[in-house]
Amino acid sequence: MKNIKNTKMELSQETMNVGFIKKVETLSGSSVRRCFQCGKCSAGCPMRSFMDHPPNRIVRLIQLGQWERVLAGRSIWYCASCETCSTRCPNKVDLAAIMDALRKLSWDADGPSKESYVQLANRLFINNIKQYGRQYEMRLAAVFNVKSGQFLKDLMLGPKLLSKGKLKMFHSKNKNLAEIEKIFNRIEEMRKNGDAP
Amino acid sequence: MSRIGVFICHCGENISRTVDVEQVAQAARQMVGVAYACDYKYMCSDPGQTLLKKAVAEQRLEGIVVAACSPRMHEKTFRNAAQGAGLNPFLCEMANIREHCSWVHDDRAEATAKATDIVRMLVERVRKNKKLIPITVPVTKRALVIGGGIAGIQAALDIADCGHQVVLVEREPSIGGHMAMLSETFPTLDCSQCIMTPRMVDVVNHPNIILHTYSEIESVDGYIGNFSITIKKKARSVDMAKCTGCGVCMEKCPQKKIPNEFDKNLGFRPAIYVPFPQAVPNTPVIDREHCTKFINGKCGVCQKVCGPGAVDYEQQDQLVVEQVGAIVVATGFKLYDIGEKPKGSAIKGYGEFGHGKIPDVIDGLTFERLASASGPTGGKIVRPSDGKEPKQVVFVQCVGSRAREKGISYCSKVCCMYTAKHTMLYKHKVHDGQAYVFFMDARTPGKSYDEFWRRAIEEEEAVYIRGMVSRVYQKGEKVVVMGSDIAVGVQVEIEADLVVLATAIQPRDGADTLAQKLGISYDKYHFYSEAHAKLRPVECATAGIYLAGACQGPKDIPETVAQASAAAAKVMTLFSKDKLEREPIVARVNEKYCVGCFACKKVCAYGAVEEKEIRDRQGNLIRVVAYVNPGVCSGCGTCQATCPSKSVELDGYTDEQVMAMLETL
Repeated sequence: MKNIKNTKMELSQETMNVGFIKKVETLSGSSVRRCFQCGKCSAGCPMRSFMDHPPNRIVRLIQLGQWERVLAGRSIWYCASCETCSTRCPNKVDLAAIMDALRKLSWDADGPSKESYVQLANRLFINNIKQYGRQYEMRLAAVFNVKSGQFLKDLMLGPKLLSKGKLKMFHSKNKNLAEIEKIFNRIEEMRKNGDAP
Repeated sequence: MSRIGVFICHCGENISRTVDVEQVAQAARQMVGVAYACDYKYMCSDPGQTLLKKAVAEQRLEGIVVAACSPRMHEKTFRNAAQGAGLNPFLCEMANIREHCSWVHDDRAEATAKATDIVRMLVERVRKNKKLIPITVPVTKRALVIGGGIAGIQAALDIADCGHQVVLVEREPSIGGHMAMLSETFPTLDCSQCIMTPRMVDVVNHPNIILHTYSEIESVDGYIGNFSITIKKKARSVDMAKCTGCGVCMEKCPQKKIPNEFDKNLGFRPAIYVPFPQAVPNTPVIDREHCTKFINGKCGVCQKVCGPGAVDYEQQDQLVVEQVGAIVVATGFKLYDIGEKPKGSAIKGYGEFGHGKIPDVIDGLTFERLASASGPTGGKIVRPSDGKEPKQVVFVQCVGSRAREKGISYCSKVCCMYTAKHTMLYKHKVHDGQAYVFFMDARTPGKSYDEFWRRAIEEEEAVYIRGMVSRVYQKGEKVVVMGSDIAVGVQVEIEADLVVLATAIQPRDGADTLAQKLGISYDKYHFYSEAHAKLRPVECATAGIYLAGACQGPKDIPETVAQASAAAAKVMTLFSKDKLEREPIVARVNEKYCVGCFACKKVCAYGAVEEKEIRDRQGNLIRVVAYVNPGVCSGCGTCQATCPSKSVELDGYTDEQVMAMLETL
């Protein structure tokens, strides 16, 4: 990942991706231009200290159509969707929704953060649902650890969770897998028609 | 005088917190000449004043000392109360035991002792006070308005509509000022010409307005109610009575390539010209500096083509004297010179922005002319260098303003709003263009102002970048702007087609000279000073002179019009009386002792000292002595301190009184 965080911005109609601004606004249902950079979102964000771009800067970068800079950072994946920012924003900018939209766009754009663990976890999560109709945590953890190359990650938590019945050795299959498949197909159909993001 | 009443105020707690008021009252009762003393929580309130009036009647008081706040605050209040009780108001004095004592001391015992001393001094002064009768001066019910911009026009129309004559003096050949140059005005985007030009016509058609354009104030004599103004009418070289305004002279003038100042030098004008087609009066003027006839005597075309024979090369500057009772100063502003350091100025320029070197770096007023339908491009926004339509325009705010290093630390107030307006005007004319604004703060206080600014961003899609521009330079056809976005924390570079600098507002050149002629004060930037920032915002400290518009400080149009109307109202208040009453605290010359050295005349800041001839019955001149015109004297006392023979004294502050005050300490 190229570090473009501190490099100079050359602004022009070509370098400001207006389509990106519009996309974020449509996906999130929130205005981006309305933000006047008061910084209240960053002031209350519990994840701010983990983020490379604080929430207010994320909005600023969207305003300037700087999608590479937004997606190159990992801030959007640290967002806990706690919605503190959206609740407190004086300008009714729904930053939590914007963060959701950005995660979606990052995924679609095959952005640099695609390889991040968060994305990997999300993908495995959805695949499990598709396959079993419900979540199969043991498999999720195992495959995640293998794919992310962290074989021993959280291993010691396993026995404890197993003993309390929070983790099952074997999956319990959903009886109505056909229905689940229909849901996935319908979403796919909607996406093709442009009815769903 | 032996029956003096002393009234000591607690001022809530302001005085009594530090000063033992009862002890001061007790001490006062022992003072020579004091017949009565008391204290009260709020002496200025209605019960307090009643207490004072009652005491005057019951104790048969002959003089009053109110120990309270500064006389600036409540002297008038208590003198009115004294008058209500049947006393001469000038037998009532104030002992300032608040600002001069309780507010500045902590030690109660010492503060009480000092308050007692102050009261004792004032008692001594009142013992020697004499009854004074207010001075009355006649009022000439005609007003002078200096400056024919929107401020001057508004003030002139308001006064004239009340039935008083107004003399309106404008330096340029036409009235209209800066507002006539603007394209559209914030926050409503109404066309400046459409709202301004009818007003200009109203002025020229008003039976009560005498208009002197292309004229300047030569000298000012006199005082409130009685000013005598000498106006220099510069030679227009065109007879205003004969000229019909047909415009043939301007068409035929062979000199066509003189930069048009009204269009910020973007267009050209002939040597005989009106500044703009809607000019009032619509009478041309010959620019003698550029006219061939005046340079080498070889032309004379305009005179030949003029049907009514109005062109007159022999015309001379004329001096006109006008008598007025009040003056409204509305001389407006100029834009800060951005380029290299302007000659002879303490204010520095910006070399780094390339203004004056790069043709496509312009100031805000130039952009107004580009955007104006009556401008040199007919309202088409183009680059001055090659006439192409700019697709990327960068606006830079706070150029000169808030730049202590450049010598201007104030905010010019209008730039945030007019830049927001510029981005809109640009977007309305160049739909595929992009406007960028570099700004430090957006200051938009005013009705519908912030909404206007947000509209520029949210609806008209101007990109606002918080951060100042460091440098502007030419790169091929483009103008590169180097700045930074402090919200992102990175440098920003924009290759622009046009750069517009929102430059600071400064007072007009010569504002200081005019102030000296008028005897009004100005600040270090040469903006005229009001008498009180809050309570007397349109009056000068010099009586009878009022301020309107940007000559007092940066202002937008609504504010300017409001202030102009306020100044007009003040003039009308003055004109509502036939005679003017003034405080009789003025200097008086003892003609017996005056040796006529006129040291007093030299030091008098108000020009109140005149020379008076003393003649015998046969009319032979005996002596020349000083005479203080009570209408002009402001009672500062400088003459009294200067007079070597001690023959001029200020009523209420005679040497005898001052010495008695000191001796009692």
